[in-house]
Amino acid sequence: MSKELIFEARQLTKHFGPTVALNKVDFKVYKGQITGLIGENGSGKSTITSIAAGMQPATEGEMFFQGQSHKPSSMIEGAKTGIGMIVQEQGTVSGLTVAQNIFLGEENKFRTMGIIHASKMNKAAKEALDAIGFTGVDPSRSIDSLNMQDRKLVEIAKVIYNKPDMLVVDETTTALSQQGRTIIYDIMKRMREENKAVVFISHDLQELMDTCDTLTVLRDGNLITTLEKDQMKEETIKKHMVGREMKGDYYRSDYDGTIDPQVVLDIDNITTGTGLLKNFSLKVHKGEILGIGGLSDCGMHELGKAIFGEEKILRGKVTHITSGDQITTAREALDHSMGYVSKNRDKEALVLTASIQDNILSAGIDKIANKLGVIIPKNRKAYVNKQVQELSIKCASVEQNVQYLSGGNKQKVVFGKWIGRDCDILILDCPTRGVDIGVKAAMYQLIYRMKQQGKTIIMISEELPELIGMSDRLIIIKNGQLSGEFARSEVLNENMIIDVMI
Amino acid sequence: MDKSIVIDETNSKSSKINYSTIISKLSPYAGLVLSIVVFQILTGGKLLTISNLQSLTNQVIITALVAIGAVYVFGIGCFDMSLGSLVCLGSVVGGMVAIATGNIFFAFLVCMIIPIAAGIIKGIFASYVEVPFFIFTIVLGMVINAFVLVILGKETTLYLENAVTPIKTFNFTEMTVINVLVLGGFYLLCLFLFNYTGLGIRVKMLGGNYDAAKQTGMNITKIKITAFLVSALGVGLAAFLILIRVRTVGYSTAVSTGNDVMVALVLGGMPISGGPRTKISAGIIGAATITVLNSGLAIMGLSTGTIQICRGIVFLAVVLVASFSYRTKMLPR
Repeated sequence: MSKELIFEARQLTKHFGPTVALNKVDFKVYKGQITGLIGENGSGKSTITSIAAGMQPATEGEMFFQGQSHKPSSMIEGAKTGIGMIVQEQGTVSGLTVAQNIFLGEENKFRTMGIIHASKMNKAAKEALDAIGFTGVDPSRSIDSLNMQDRKLVEIAKVIYNKPDMLVVDETTTALSQQGRTIIYDIMKRMREENKAVVFISHDLQELMDTCDTLTVLRDGNLITTLEKDQMKEETIKKHMVGREMKGDYYRSDYDGTIDPQVVLDIDNITTGTGLLKNFSLKVHKGEILGIGGLSDCGMHELGKAIFGEEKILRGKVTHITSGDQITTAREALDHSMGYVSKNRDKEALVLTASIQDNILSAGIDKIANKLGVIIPKNRKAYVNKQVQELSIKCASVEQNVQYLSGGNKQKVVFGKWIGRDCDILILDCPTRGVDIGVKAAMYQLIYRMKQQGKTIIMISEELPELIGMSDRLIIIKNGQLSGEFARSEVLNENMIIDVMI
Repeated sequence: MDKSIVIDETNSKSSKINYSTIISKLSPYAGLVLSIVVFQILTGGKLLTISNLQSLTNQVIITALVAIGAVYVFGIGCFDMSLGSLVCLGSVVGGMVAIATGNIFFAFLVCMIIPIAAGIIKGIFASYVEVPFFIFTIVLGMVINAFVLVILGKETTLYLENAVTPIKTFNFTEMTVINVLVLGGFYLLCLFLFNYTGLGIRVKMLGGNYDAAKQTGMNITKIKITAFLVSALGVGLAAFLILIRVRTVGYSTAVSTGNDVMVALVLGGMPISGGPRTKISAGIIGAATITVLNSGLAIMGLSTGTIQICRGIVFLAVVLVASFSYRTKMLPR
């Protein structure tokens, strides 16, 4: 099959101050193909596509789209030329209906004599949603009544409705469950059949290998290689991403699932305010890695919050066994040496506009103050530097704002907050979400090391491989109820779990 | 950590100095110097005469005391518009006590207790009531102003001369010593609490992201009440200093202080919405700048109304310029 070029970047370069995000990259996208882009956080994947879509200008280099010189000055201009982009962040506007979100900025299509016809708009919105196979949602509903996944699907419907010639899917699947992912995969495959182009960015090697026709690997702003379908092997890709052979274990290598009989936390018959957990009970043992899995709205994220006192508990209670105290607020949880890493990193775990230093200090500040509550600057500096070094957080200075860090580095800062405090019980909600494999591997090692130090880890995740790879005990929640429990074992596989999950 | 997995151990240190950070750090100071130079020229040298310097010092002390304390409150994201009214209430009730008892110490206690009580109420309100806080403080300010009118009754002004036993009059030198000691002491206290205890980081985090602060297990109510108490100290000290210096207090005492403080914080280089860029120096630098501005405009013979308009323009200009510097480039992931 002769390949027809749709997009080409020549010597594309982007600088952010002293940082080189893209270094003279030549990148080509062909019609009728799904082109994968992979690389660690900060390798330049999103930079290429965001320049192509008009979100930001390039420092140097040229772009061509459909044979024409391509220089969009805004995303609207980018979209007009035929580049549609689905991004990782939430892109819907709160307070509007689903239909209003889909046709944001295009209301004039439905205007007669100055009045916008809601019914017409809703009808068109319904068509847009049906077109991507997302049925069962009423377009006149408020966007706020939808969960994160459904909002993402609304965004996708909006992008697809404009019939782009080249679709960019930027780490969108991370936020989605299997159902949402299937919808995206179907869209991408259909675009390929229609001889249109797709650029697919993801951290998930497996899904890239399954979906993509070619896979381009970036590292530190340089294009390393482009692999054809038959060259895609997990080891090869990882090697190109990291720049050398990956050694050592990705997850933990032992299958010793022995569990200490001592219970540290007793979750007794709780029902949460959102109604997602109903009469749920669970005992957490000392020093175990307790994996919790399920579909994204099964109640597992609420469970994590409820244990940390951040979710309203209507009935039942969470008891810290060692002290006998009940945990009802985050403050009490903190006082009982518990830590919580939220799934929603940017909104709940970090103050983006604050420095790395202040973020790390925010949880452990009482630990470094002396009896009078005074903090010696030297101790403060030592505390922060220790976390930065141990977690190898990449930064120019600890005074740097966390908002400029890559996803993996941000997550390291969140870990630093709690590890510095030396928490005994750590609740991790999607700890490796949006984190590249290098950092992921480092985090798994870290979690395992904490377990060996006798710390209790509750790991909530939407990724089954990491749950299987890390947990001493894995519980699956379905519709707010316990639906399965698995002990650590070599034979445990995803299919066994999916059976009780769905 | 497994060395074979961790990529790029060395932190990529950039040796380039970040000029924009330095400029934004220095700009409040540059603003102060600039306003002094400009008004020294515009007023034909009248700004920096001995007599005007004395009055400048007296004014700046009041604004600075309130503004330094207010850094904490605005820092946690609470927009407090009742500060000027509280200075007025403190000095009026303090004045009444001084006149009735002839005891300056009792007057001092009252000047302090009133803002402290109000601070606790504000702290509790800010923690538990789900009404936008600035609305509460607007109403609180109005109620306090009305209350001052009520307790003053037919009199509009209180004179310390009327006290049952004479209250000491401080001459300029004594007043200057008191001013410097009070302001210096309060500034150091605030600086210490902010930078050498956990309070500063908590204030910055809470102002920057409420959810993150809460999920970090911070005691939000305690932080808020502490912030309001620190602010109340500044208000109380300001009320007392006005009382013993001016010796006549009334309905219009400290009438522009509330507005001056807000403008001062912005001129001093902190965002009015608080958060991580909160800093104590904003209170003192900003107070100096706004006082020079007020004084310069007054010397130039502008009417009170015209001065208000000029201040408004300066305020908007600063907010506009500050919003430009927010437009920083973000690295995509």
